Order: sequence, then C-alpha cells, then structure tokens
Amino acid sequence: MNLRRVLAVAWKEAREIWRDRLYFGLAFALPVILMIVYCYGLVQDVENAPFAILDHDRSTLSRDYAHRFLDSRYFDFQGYVEDSREAERLLVDARVRMVLVVPPGFERDLREGRPVAVQTIFDGTFTTPIRTLRGYVESIHASLGASLRADWLARNRGLSPERAAVLLQPVRVETRYLYNREVRTLWAIAPTMIMFILMMTSPLLTALSIVREKETGAIYNIYSATITRAEYLLGKLLPNAAVSFLNILVLFVLATSWFGAPFDGSFGLFAGASVGFVLSTSCLGLLVSLLARSQQAALMISVIAGVVVALNFSGMTTPPQAMPPGLYAVAHLFPALAYRNVVLGTFLKGLDLRILWQDAAYFFAYAAAAFALCTGLFRKRTAA
Amino acid sequence: MSPPPSPPLFAGVSRRLRQMRVMTAKELRQIARDRALLLFIIYSFTLHMFVAAGSEASDLRDARFLVRDLDRSPASRELISRFLPPQYLPAGEVASGEEALDRLDRGKAVMLLEIPEGFSRTLDEGAQPATVQLLVDTSSANTGYLASAYSARIAARYGAERAQANLSRGGAAHETLPRIESRDRVWFNPTLDEKWFATISELLTMITVACILLPAAALVREKERGTIEQLLVSPLTPFQVMFPKVLAMIVVTLLGTVVAFLGILRPVFGVPVRGSLLLFFGVTALYAFTNAGLGLLAATFTKRTAQVGMLMLLAVMPIIMLSGIRAPLESMPSWLRTAIWFSPLRHFLEVGYGILLRGAGVSVLWDSILVMAGLGAVLFLAGLYRFRRQLA
Repeated sequence: MNLRRVLAVAWKEAREIWRDRLYFGLAFALPVILMIVYCYGLVQDVENAPFAILDHDRSTLSRDYAHRFLDSRYFDFQGYVEDSREAERLLVDARVRMVLVVPPGFERDLREGRPVAVQTIFDGTFTTPIRTLRGYVESIHASLGASLRADWLARNRGLSPERAAVLLQPVRVETRYLYNREVRTLWAIAPTMIMFILMMTSPLLTALSIVREKETGAIYNIYSATITRAEYLLGKLLPNAAVSFLNILVLFVLATSWFGAPFDGSFGLFAGASVGFVLSTSCLGLLVSLLARSQQAALMISVIAGVVVALNFSGMTTPPQAMPPGLYAVAHLFPALAYRNVVLGTFLKGLDLRILWQDAAYFFAYAAAAFALCTGLFRKRTAA
Repeated sequence: MSPPPSPPLFAGVSRRLRQMRVMTAKELRQIARDRALLLFIIYSFTLHMFVAAGSEASDLRDARFLVRDLDRSPASRELISRFLPPQYLPAGEVASGEEALDRLDRGKAVMLLEIPEGFSRTLDEGAQPATVQLLVDTSSANTGYLASAYSARIAARYGAERAQANLSRGGAAHETLPRIESRDRVWFNPTLDEKWFATISELLTMITVACILLPAAALVREKERGTIEQLLVSPLTPFQVMFPKVLAMIVVTLLGTVVAFLGILRPVFGVPVRGSLLLFFGVTALYAFTNAGLGLLAATFTKRTAQVGMLMLLAVMPIIMLSGIRAPLESMPSWLRTAIWFSPLRHFLEVGYGILLRGAGVSVLWDSILVMAGLGAVLFLAGLYRFRRQLA
C-alpha cells in the first residue's frame, strides 16, 4: 500500500466533490433537511385522533362522559352522529378513526349502580395507533368508573371519599422513566435519525463516485495505472467518509440545540464510534458500486437498501429484543443496529466505553472486513 | 400495391403513436438490460414483502423485565406471576438497584418491577394504597410507553380483584357497583393483523420509489451520455420523448403490483380485497403516472445522475415517511400537514386502503382520485415545459 498514491486519489476525489457545487451543497443540505422533516413528522405520539360519538342516551351523564374525550388532547371531536349508518360512512371515508357508541339507559344504569358497556368501533386499517387509542379509551373509562364507584360507596356506606378510593383500588403503581424522563418521542427520534439518515446518504456518496467513473470510462485510467485495487478504493473511500463524518457533526448540533435532545455521554466516544460507522457505511457503498453498472442502479440499490436496513434491521421499528431470531442474526450484518446502540447510549443513557466498547470495536472490524471483501471482488478489468 | 393513403391528420397521429410505442419498447428494453436494476425491482415487489411482514411489530412483545421482590409474600408473587408472555418475558431477579441499572444500561431488559417491603401488609390493612415501583427504559419511547401502560393495567386488574374480595368479605357479596366496560370492535381488520397494513404500505412505498426514481434517472442518463441530442435530431417531439418513459414505468409498476398482490399479498398474507380490484390497479396506474411526472420534473433541474439521487432523496424520503404510513397525519404540526397535501402518496394511501380494506368505491374516493390526477397532470406538464425550454 503506497500512501502517496492513496492520497493522490483522495485529493482528486475531494476536488471533484468540491467542484460540483450543486452536488456538494446537496451532500450537506440533504441530511439537514431530512433531519428537520423527520423529526417533526415522525413523532408517533398519538394525538388529535379524529372521532365521533353516537349517543343513544342524550343525558347529562352521557354529555359529561363525552366531555372527558373532548377535553383530551389525544382526541379531536368531529361531532355527534345520528345513527349507525352515518357512523359507518365516516369510518369508510376515513374521516374518523373511531366512533364511541353510548347505549340507551347509560345514565340510569350507572346511577343505580349497574355496569354499562360502551362500544368503541375502531378503523383497524392503520393498526399502530389503535392499541394506543384503545389504552386511552380504557383509561378514561376506568377513571370515570372509579370516581362513580367512589361516589357510590361514599353515598351508600357512609365512607370518606379517600377511604372509598383505597378500598376500590388498593394497589398503586409508581412509574419512573429512565433515560428519557419526559417520554418525549422527539428526544429518542432525533438521535436515531442521525443513524437513519447516514445509512442512506453515506453508502450513496461512495457508490456514485465509483460508478460514475465506470460510466464515463475514467476508470480505464485506473485499470491501466500502477495503482493497486486497495489503494484506489481507499482513496475513493476516505473523502466520502469524511463528508459523512462532517454530516454527523452537523446533525449532532441540530439534534442537541434545535431539537433539545439531551446528550449525557462522552463526546469523544460518540465521535470515535461515528468515524468507525462512516467507514463501515462507506464500505457498504463500495459493495454497491461493485454490483451496479449504472449510476441509476447504484442509486436505486443504495437508497432502497439503506432505507430497508435502517428501518428493519436497526431496532428502530422493532426493538432488538422483539426481533425474531433470524431477523436478529441478519441485523448484525449491518452497522445500523450497533450505531443505534451507540447513539442512544451516548445521548440518552449516558453510557461509557465500559458498556459500549463492543459496538465501537464492531465498526472497525466491520469496516476492515467489508473493505477486504470489496478489494477481493474488485476487478481491474472490464467485464467480459 | 400500396394501401390507399389515409387523410394526413390521421396519418400523423398514427405515426406519432407508432413512434411512441417504439420509444416505450426501447425504455422497457433498457430497464430489462440493466441486470442489477432488474434484480432489484424483482426483489422489491416479491421478497421484500416478506421482510416487511416479518419485521413490523407495533405491539409490546417479549419485553424483558427484571424483578426485585423485597416483600417475598404470596401477594407479591401473585402480582409478579401476572406479567406474562407474549407481552412480557421475565429476565430474572436482581439483588440490588445497581445491578438492575447495569442490566438496563446494557439493554438486557427494558423494565424493573420493584415490590417494596410490607406490600402485602399494607394491602391487608387497607388504610393506604400499597405501592409498587416501576423503572422503565424509555429510550425507545413507544416500547417504554406500552411497557408502562400494560403494567399499570395488570396492577389495576390485580387491585380490582383484591378490592372485590375485600368488599364481598365485608358482607356485600351481591352488591353491584357502577362500572363502564369497554367493548371494542375493530372494523376492516378485526384481528388487528399487522401484516395487512405492513405489506400493503410496503408495496405502496416500493411503487413510489420505483416510479419517481427510474424515469428521472432514465432522462438524466440520456442528458449525461448525450443520447438526448440524437433524440433531438430525430423527428420526435419533446412529448414523445418524455411520455414513453412514463408509459414504460406504468407498465413495470403495474406488472410488479399485480405479481406482488395476486402472488403474495393475497394468497400468503390473506390481505382482503373488499372493493374492486380493477379499480385498485387502475388507480395504481394513475399513481405511477403522477409519480413519474414528479420524477421527470426533478430530472429537468439536474445534469447528472448523482444530483438526481440527492434531489430524489430530498423528495422521495419525506413523501414515504410523512404521508401517513409511519405516523398518523393528525399528530403532525399543521404546517407540515398542509405541505403533505401535495404528496401524491397521501392520496394514494387513502384510495388504496379504501378500496382494499374499507371496501370503498368511486363514490367515496372520487375526491382523492381527482387530486391525484390533477397533481399528476400539473407535474407532467411542468416537466414537459421545462424540458422543451431546455431543448430550445
């Protein structure tokens, strides 16, 4: 390995990146714009869910009941419906996510101490928020029911309301939230997005820079030159990895200052692991460039592969402990899972090298292995 | 013996149509020849559906929890035994708080359930509520929320049973209490099968990516290689150069959708078709047209494929992530919701799910279809306008 030749390729590559101003601007603007759009858009807190009420009772208590939902920030009241046909129309047209059906005799039964059943019809198309919504509905039912029961006991047994409440619900749960004390989705999303965005942009940069030379034919100069395969690939890799690393730094500032995500860990550890990560993802880009013959193909493969890996194999949509064993094994073939550990570990958990050393070491081993693989597969001649 | 000459106007039209057919065939051949690209398209519409179905899990599953039981009474054991699979998975007992924290730090568990000394005694006395403590890892906010919500529900149910027992011991065995029961009915997907939503949304995502990227890249490649000049000196109008790229994409997309839907989604995952399948494929073709228009418009702003890639990421990723697949629209800030109205996918989602799951027809969906058609026409015409000016 001749360092001078590596640097020569790297210098040429850096100048090429710099010279194409639109591309250069995009390489830096894109991660920032994606970060802002995602962080605002991906907050999965279920809020303002549109709903309607079909009230068969039309009593004071049923109006009280409705107000518990109207006053909640989780629900967005779209109005009362007259009959079940109208409710169905709203659901089919996706105007509401749920309809509450208050039965006749709601007030009378409750006042006389009998249980009533309120039916909730959910639109099951979009499954994710349904579970959360169901939880909200149940907890409103439970708290209204509890206060009705406490009143009932206090009235019929002559107990104090506090005593009645303990009698009715003798177990209390005290929950403390670790790492993300306010359970703010944004605090968890902003750091995760650094991983997500780089999984897409970093392989793309490297892949395009090699495939472009294949397409224009400039790569023939390399084929016929004395430079070795490893020297050429390393020279291509370094400037692009550097751009990705700068991107991480910018996103770090954005996450901590603009989105207010807490950073409790060591910055040195974060930066060191990030260097390993961008080397790994850039090697993935080299791999893509071996497969692709056109920039169009390189683009498709790196964008889709990046999104698939980042979404499915990072633990972002499915937490690692909930993955099926096969998927969990596959997830280790990509650096996304380990980098998510590092990012969440340094941002929210405030962990140090004692716990994160495996993940940090993984990147460098990964990059070395992937680079060796690419060098082995790269051929300095045209495909026959 | 030549056929009788047709009227000039008709001859012109039929010649134009023939030219477009040839151009469309050329585009299709170009896609077919790029083996890596072809493989990827095939993967996207087939194998990828299985990946999507396997990885989507929004419910709490196998949440590992630690136990620190300082009471060691029948009551505490009874409560602990109620944390059951599939939601929870016991990860062992810990002796100290530090040990628990270390295990949580390493991600070996997501929750610690701590039952303080005297839990059972307080419960028996009934003067004060008996407290249990929960320490939840919220670095993944959704898992954290679900883990604590389910725990609260388990504890509440346990408490309610104790309360019922206490009350009946107090001589009120037959007394009923006011209670509001939740009866849920889930329409359109009664068992909340997540694979339905996951596979359909992934199919729509793949259609979106392919339809925007491929025509854009195809146009820019002609610019980059200079073959666009050859097309210019040929007797083709700009429309005839651009529209075949759209047509080719519609053909590929429809083919992929038919294969994915009839070959995988319906037979393997049991995704129902409650509305008209023909309408669904028709709308898919319209959607492919709308997206291709967007891709071509973007292509007129760039000179190199690499730039298209970046621009596309800028447009495609937000469209996929923000149109309502990943997070519900109503929870987004209103400026963002206004911006998303211009995303064709937002309307396609409504139509796609409407036809397949909700069984909606044109009478309900006409507004979304109209918006998609309008967006497509505007995008395509804008692209054509810019393309024509660049050629002049």
